[in-house]
Amino acid sequence: MIVDKIKKREPTAKKMQNQVDIQVGKWLKCDKCKEILYKETVRENESICPNCGAYFRMHINKRLESIIDKDTYKRFDLEIDTTNPLGLEDYPKKIKGLREKTGIKEAVSCGTGKINGEEVVICVMDSGFLMGSMGVVVGEKITYAIEKAIEKKLPLIIFSVSGGARMQEGIISLMQMAKTTAAISKLNDAGLLYISVLTDPTYGGVTASFASIADIILAEPGAMIGFAGQRVIKQTIGEELPEGFQTAEFLLEHGFIDKIVERKELKNTLYKLIKYHVN
Amino acid sequence: MEQRKEVNGEAIAKSMLVLSKIKVPVIAIVIGEGSSGGALALGVGNKVLMLENAIYSILSPEGYASILWKDASRTKEAAEKMKLTAKDLYDLKIIDKIIKEPTGDEEESFKKVSKSLKREITKIIDEMKSKTPEEIVEERYQKFRNMGEYRKID
Repeated sequence: MIVDKIKKREPTAKKMQNQVDIQVGKWLKCDKCKEILYKETVRENESICPNCGAYFRMHINKRLESIIDKDTYKRFDLEIDTTNPLGLEDYPKKIKGLREKTGIKEAVSCGTGKINGEEVVICVMDSGFLMGSMGVVVGEKITYAIEKAIEKKLPLIIFSVSGGARMQEGIISLMQMAKTTAAISKLNDAGLLYISVLTDPTYGGVTASFASIADIILAEPGAMIGFAGQRVIKQTIGEELPEGFQTAEFLLEHGFIDKIVERKELKNTLYKLIKYHVN
Repeated sequence: MEQRKEVNGEAIAKSMLVLSKIKVPVIAIVIGEGSSGGALALGVGNKVLMLENAIYSILSPEGYASILWKDASRTKEAAEKMKLTAKDLYDLKIIDKIIKEPTGDEEESFKKVSKSLKREITKIIDEMKSKTPEEIVEERYQKFRNMGEYRKID
């Protein structure tokens, strides 16, 4: 729901263009330090600018590579597609195009894998696929993953990046918020660990459902996190917003986030948290 | 206010979480314009009722047109596409029952609506009386668990 607002935000819009460059060209420009970078160098550096340390958004495969032990990721066998419930003309075409462009089937990938030998259920979202928005496929995949975690008695880790509920599927998308939240409720009852990792940007219906109700909430530095976009809030309340509003750092200060973790430290931090809680 | 401005998304999630766990029947009724997470925060019911002329949607048609088509003037078209009427939502199995709103004298109509609502609520509570708390929670879970059709990719 917030996709449009995010796109309109100047720095992010530039960042998004950069991300397209990562996929199609050989070079990209860092939005922060304006340095022209060889994309392969950035990729090998966990999608972090080697010059100034700014974070680029990560492709699902890169994220999995960064967090999960080599050759241990097993994607759940749940290949499903939207039925286009509102009958929008362009929507199926758009999905098809994105599949070709991004090499992924939807905005989330879920499966089991190991973190330094510890088995977990992991879901990773991707902003390159309709801004990581949650429609029925994303909602179903995440719910299925939560149920698998309960069945296998495994810790659950979800990496969020999303503009919110997927507009193209209307109210059905909204209902995915209730569906995923109810599944987390079951996970709570089963006494299993759930760690939510918020990455830039996490907004709308994803913030307002599974991403916010974890046992532990981590975030990457500088990630923008909220429900409504800043412009909408400003217009609604008619007040200036405090400095740093909706940044991970601001939310840490206000107790919403438990810890901000550098990208390169995430795997080890997750491992420690799992070891601490599970054994 | 200060707190809510920061993470009202969390408040919505927590509200839904509590409604998912609660061991008594939950009846949600859409009586006017319900949209987005704010409406859903109170909408996780064993039964969801809706007044005939109410609307329930992912976002206001104005916001929808502006986000999806970048054109706020296409509000009417958005309202038609979005499937936000009680009839549409009943067909989509998002709501369980439409409460008729008779036209004519306003006061008379209000009384009739109140009476039907009361009758419906009492009926649901009576039906639920024989269920165990676990059954009530599980039924609610399954109701939302099954929302949204998809098809398998070969």
